[in-house]
Parts: sequence; C-alpha cells; structure tokens
Amino acid sequence: MQSLEPLTILIAEDSAADRMLLSSIVRRQGHNVLTAANGAEAVETFRQQQPHLVLMDAMMPVMDGFEAARQIKLLAGETLVPIIFLTSLTESEALARCLEAGGDDFLAKPYNPVILAAKIKAMDRLRRLQATVLQQRDLIGRHHDYLLNEQRVAKAVFDKVAHSGCLNAPNIRYLQSPYALFNGDLLLAAFTPAGDMHVLLGDFTGHGLPAAVGAMPLAEVFYGMTAKGYGLSETLREMNAKLKRILPVDMFCCATLLCLSFQRRSVEVWNGGMPDGYLHSIATGERKPLTARHLPLGVLSPQTFNDRTEVFPMAVGDRVFLLSDGVIDTCDGNEQLFGVDRLQQVFAANRQPDALFGEIKQALRNFGGEARDDVSMVEVSLLEATQLTPPALVYSDSGQSCPLDWSVNFEFRAETLKRFNPLPYLLQLLLEVHGLRAQSGSLYSVLAELYSNALEHGVLGLDSSLKRDASGFARYYQLRNERLEGLQDGFVRVHLQVTPEGKGGCLVVRVEDSGKGFDVARVLERPLDGVRLSGRGVSLVRQLGRNASWSDEGRCARVEFSWEALA
Amino acid sequence: MADTHLDPNVLSALQEVMEDEYPELLDTFIRDSEERLKLLQNYADAMQLRDAAHSFKGSSSNMGAIRLAELCHELEQRANQKSLAGIEKLVGEIDGEFAIVRPLYEAEKQRSLSE
Amino acid sequence: MSVNAEVSQDGKKLTISIKGRFDFAKHQEFRESYERHNGGKMPNSVVVDLKEATYLDSSALGMLLLLRDHAGGDNSDIRVVNSNSDVRKILAISNFDKLFNVT
Repeated sequence: MQSLEPLTILIAEDSAADRMLLSSIVRRQGHNVLTAANGAEAVETFRQQQPHLVLMDAMMPVMDGFEAARQIKLLAGETLVPIIFLTSLTESEALARCLEAGGDDFLAKPYNPVILAAKIKAMDRLRRLQATVLQQRDLIGRHHDYLLNEQRVAKAVFDKVAHSGCLNAPNIRYLQSPYALFNGDLLLAAFTPAGDMHVLLGDFTGHGLPAAVGAMPLAEVFYGMTAKGYGLSETLREMNAKLKRILPVDMFCCATLLCLSFQRRSVEVWNGGMPDGYLHSIATGERKPLTARHLPLGVLSPQTFNDRTEVFPMAVGDRVFLLSDGVIDTCDGNEQLFGVDRLQQVFAANRQPDALFGEIKQALRNFGGEARDDVSMVEVSLLEATQLTPPALVYSDSGQSCPLDWSVNFEFRAETLKRFNPLPYLLQLLLEVHGLRAQSGSLYSVLAELYSNALEHGVLGLDSSLKRDASGFARYYQLRNERLEGLQDGFVRVHLQVTPEGKGGCLVVRVEDSGKGFDVARVLERPLDGVRLSGRGVSLVRQLGRNASWSDEGRCARVEFSWEALA
Repeated sequence: MADTHLDPNVLSALQEVMEDEYPELLDTFIRDSEERLKLLQNYADAMQLRDAAHSFKGSSSNMGAIRLAELCHELEQRANQKSLAGIEKLVGEIDGEFAIVRPLYEAEKQRSLSE
Repeated sequence: MSVNAEVSQDGKKLTISIKGRFDFAKHQEFRESYERHNGGKMPNSVVVDLKEATYLDSSALGMLLLLRDHAGGDNSDIRVVNSNSDVRKILAISNFDKLFNVT
C-alpha cells in the first residue's frame, strides 16, 4: 500500500474506550490525532486547528454528530473536509441521515483498522482532488481576467482605427450584439470624396482576439482607399491581397461590400461568403436577395481573386439590408435555428419599412434568443444627396506651398483602361492646390462622371439608355465588363490646367475619348431631370462645375472650377 | 444468542493496535461500562435509554464482548419501540453479562502486563 | 475515431472520412490524418467524405483550406463528396465549391 502523507484527523467520539482505540488505530497509520468528546468540542477544535479529516460519532451528548457535521461543513466552505461517521446504526434511514448531514462515508462498529485505513485513503484522494479543482479554477479565473484585459486594450486600439467611419450617418441603422468583448463581425462605413458611401459588413473566422487582429489592417485599407476615392473593386483587391498575405491559411474574412451612390442612385455589391443581403425596393415591395458569388477575402491569391461587382438601381427611400450568419444561426431552447424562412416571414409581415429593423430584433428575441454567434445587422437607405453631409477632408500639410500655375496631360490607353483607375491619383494631384480643397467633393464627382462617360459611352460604346430599369442595369454592367475585357484600342485623355486668377485661381478640366461622340445639342436640351436613372451625368457636370461644354461631336468635355482668395 | 462472552481474536487485534496502551484501554472500557450501566438503570425516558443502550452496544462490540453487545442491541430495539414493560429484566441480564466479562478483562489485563 | 484516413492500394488517393460535427474540436485529428501518411508526402488526389458529417462550421472551412494548401494549393485535386443538404448549403454560400470539387 502506498504510504499517505500524514494527515491531521479529528476524532469525535463520546465513549472514552472507543475514542482511545480509534486514536491508536489512526496514530498507528501515521497520522496526527485530535480528539473531542462531544459535538460542540468537535466544532470548536475544528475551528481552531483545521484538521484535514473528521471521524465523527453520530450519537454524542451536548451536540450530536449530525449537527456538528453541518457546522463543520459550513466552516470548511469551499474546501473539502471529509467526514466519516462512526456508527452502529444499521437502519437505512439513519444512514441516510449521515449523508444528509454532510457525511461523506461511514465506518461501522466494531472498528476494522484495515477498512478504516482504506476509507481514510479514499477520502484523502477526494480531498486532494477538490483542492486541485479549486486551484485550477482560480488559475483559470486569473488567466481569464488577463485575457479580458488584453482584449480590452486591443479593442481600444481597434476603435481608434475605426473612428474615422461614418456609422452614425442618418441613413445607417445597425445592431451588433456584444457576444464576445470583440465581435468576429466587422462593420465599417465611410464616404468617398464624391459623397458616395462605402459599407462593409465582415465576419472573420473565429471570435475574439484572432478575429480582431485581422480586422485592423482590413479597416485601414478600407478607410484609406475609400477616402482617396478608390472604387470597390480596387479596394477589394487590396483587402484580399493584404489578408491573404498576413493571415494564416485557415483564416479568412467573409464580407459584403456596398457602394451606395446617392447621385447616381445605384448600389454596387460584392458578396464573398456572407448570407444573402436584401435590396428592398419601396415602390414594388420586392426584396431582391444579394447572394454571395465570391469566396471570402483572404483565400485566393491576387492573381485568381475576382473583384467583379453587381450594380442595381435604387430609388430614394430604398434600402439595403445586410446580416451576419449569427442572425440565421440564432438558436432557441430546442436547438432549432431561426433560419432564412423565419426571416422571410418577418419581411413579409412588415408594413412600415422604418420598423423592419426593430421587428427583426423583436422576432429574434421572441424566438428565444440565445445568440450562438455574433449577431450583426445593418440597414442602409438611399437618401437625397442633400440630406447627407460627408465630413470635410483633413489635410496634413502646412498650407504654405502650393502649385498655382501648371498643366498636365494624360493619355490612358486600352491596356491601362482595363486595369487602372486614375481618379484617385488625379484627385490627389488636384488637392495639392489649396483653393480646390473646399470643392473636393464636387471635383471628384465631376471627374468621375466625365471619366466614366468617356470610358463607358465613348470608348466602350455603351448606351446609357439601357439603364432605364433594373434588368437593363444588370445587362449594362455585364456588357461593360465584357467590352472592357476585350478592349484592344481606344483612349481617354485627361488634361488639367491650373492658372491664377486675381487673388484666386481657375482649374480647367478637359476629358476626351476615342469614341463616336453623341448628339450634344439634344442632350443639353433635356431638362435637368432628377428622377431618371440614365443620362444624369451631363446634368451633374453642369450643376457642379462652371461653364461646362462639349465639343468635337461630344467626344471632348470641358468644365471649369474656380476659387477666390483663401481667407 | 451467541455463546461468546469475549472474542479472543478481537482481543489480540486490539492488543496489536494498542501495544503498550492495551492495558489502559481495557481499564478505560471497564470504567466506561460502569458509568453506562448506571445510566441504564436510572434512565429518564425511553429515548435516553435507547441512546445509552446504543452507545454501550458500540463500545462492547469494539471490545469483543459479543453477547453483551447483542443484549444491548435488544434493549435498544425495545426502547425504540417504547415497549418498556418488563425492561428491568433485560437490564438485569446486561448487568449479569457484564459481571461475567469484567473479570475476564481483568485477567486479560494482568496477562498482558506480565508479558 | 471520428476522423478516418485511408490510402488506396496504389498509394495515389487518400480518403478522409469525417463523422459527426466537423468543427474546431476535430482540428488536431484532421491535420494528423493527412500529415502522417506516406512519410508526410501527399498522394496525388484527396477525397474528403462527409457522408456521416452532420455539421460544418467556419473552422471546418479553414481546415479544408489547410488541407488544400498542404496538397499543393492551386495544383491540388481535392474532392468533397457525399455532403448532405445542410453541408452543401454552407459550401455554396461560402463559394467553396469554386475551390473544391463538391458532390
């Protein structure tokens, strides 16, 4: 038999002879012995000496063994102090009493030293086990606190990265459940220089710290590129490349990206691995699912990554609704999933579009919302462009040196047109001119409009009247991709000229294309139309810039921007 | 009812455990038992009688006084059932049994001291 | 064992079968199932049999990516077979059927 470490054992027994006998047996087994002749003495001795184990006679004067056991167990608290009742009780009711009172075992009289030794050993094993459990629990508790603190710090850093976003814009409503201190879900929104809005709903594999670590570089790319005026495709390529490079092979980020254009009244969508989003048309009531057509970010190499987006028209008041799979996967008590069907039911029952968000929240709560995953939802509406105020761009230079008299010519040819968006660079260049900074939004919008007209209608020969309805929209963009991919010849030339004018200055922008041109007179005759989906580009240029004119049968567009002396 | 007044195996086991304290144990038991007998003869109520009998039963069995333990068990049962009619006879038997085993313990004590 | 790996007679095909929930708990077993064969050398083609798999989550998708990376990345030949409708749906939403041959 393995030898036990000596324990301190309290023997509470009123019969002197039995007490003496038991003490000898226990001492002989290598333990230290404390004795008590009644229950009250036993409790007091326990309180003072804290023995490891107690042998308790059931019947004692002053305070019986049951009461003494109850009190000792209370005093012991979390620590396990095994109590072995000494009894010649044979009735099962009496034995049950022993256990109820907190006894862990009992030893019958006459005492059998062999059995007693075995019971002491067994009880000691239990005692040690409990001690280990408590120790580990405390250790785990401390580690957990460290982890929570680390996450808190990381979250603070993360929030700084995310602060430049515009989630508080009036057209955005969102919900993120605080399942983990960090959500694996990422929700970003930012304005482009043109006043369009980019929105990203992402879901990293995993939760907590691993998910958040990937979120930060992603957010930086998103905000950085959006602010510079890059489109969705370029931003997606960059985000994918970055994640592919820095994340381990088995980590990736499912994401849906949107570009809402209030001026062009359209939404551009890219969905990689997220559940269906929904485009809700107020006029028809239809909810079009925006299905994942791509792999998540961070899986494919830059060469194989697909940045193809889909474009849909939107009217004022229409909304796009995105959700993470946490909504679908919300469970009730019977492990039933909320599921897409229930979501569709909420959609169908909805009468007030503004109330939809709240109705979904309520449905999830009613369902028995024990969130199994992170729940994130966002609803973005198309408002009138005038209802939104994008924040002013912040410039980091001192404002002292600034190029005031210069010009530049670019010619972008077929191969470049296919894979390069020059607009961010052109804008950066122009923003070196301080006088133009206040008009950066208009500037970007006009440049973008002229460039896209030159490319799409000019070089690619696309007819903008195709975009008169939803299916036409889809066809238009499909054709655009096809023709762009197959482009062999053609060019877009951009000429920029900045000259001083009194205390201020003037910028002349000229954009030419190699296309067939259009009937300028006819288009200019049309009234400035705020509702139609196509043909709005010309109006825009005329409204935002000065002295807009078209020449060379429509192949050359010219517009001016000017500014007064700066304060 | 068993014939054994004192179980020798129990005694030798006790001696092995107690070693030098064996004689003291025997003494303690004898004194203890005298007290208990007094309690049995002057009980206040049935419950007290039952508890006293129970206790005496326990130590007797520990000390190998088999028949004594069984008599105490019977007394315990009767007291528990509150059938106290003629209980003095049973107490008398216990008294008598102790009178038999007591000199046996004394002798055992002497024997162990002279080893 | 809930992850079972078998190599064909000619050593050219490895079949990995998953039983029960294909989630993070199976991470270790899954990796070992393909890392330990042929002295670490991967066979030409791999089949992941999900006939008895009840559920698939994003960590399972991650594990499939690890397998694919180990089997040669873009040059790998991995088939995911016998998926039930729930599993098939998950593979479809994540568009993983573009990376793996799913049946």
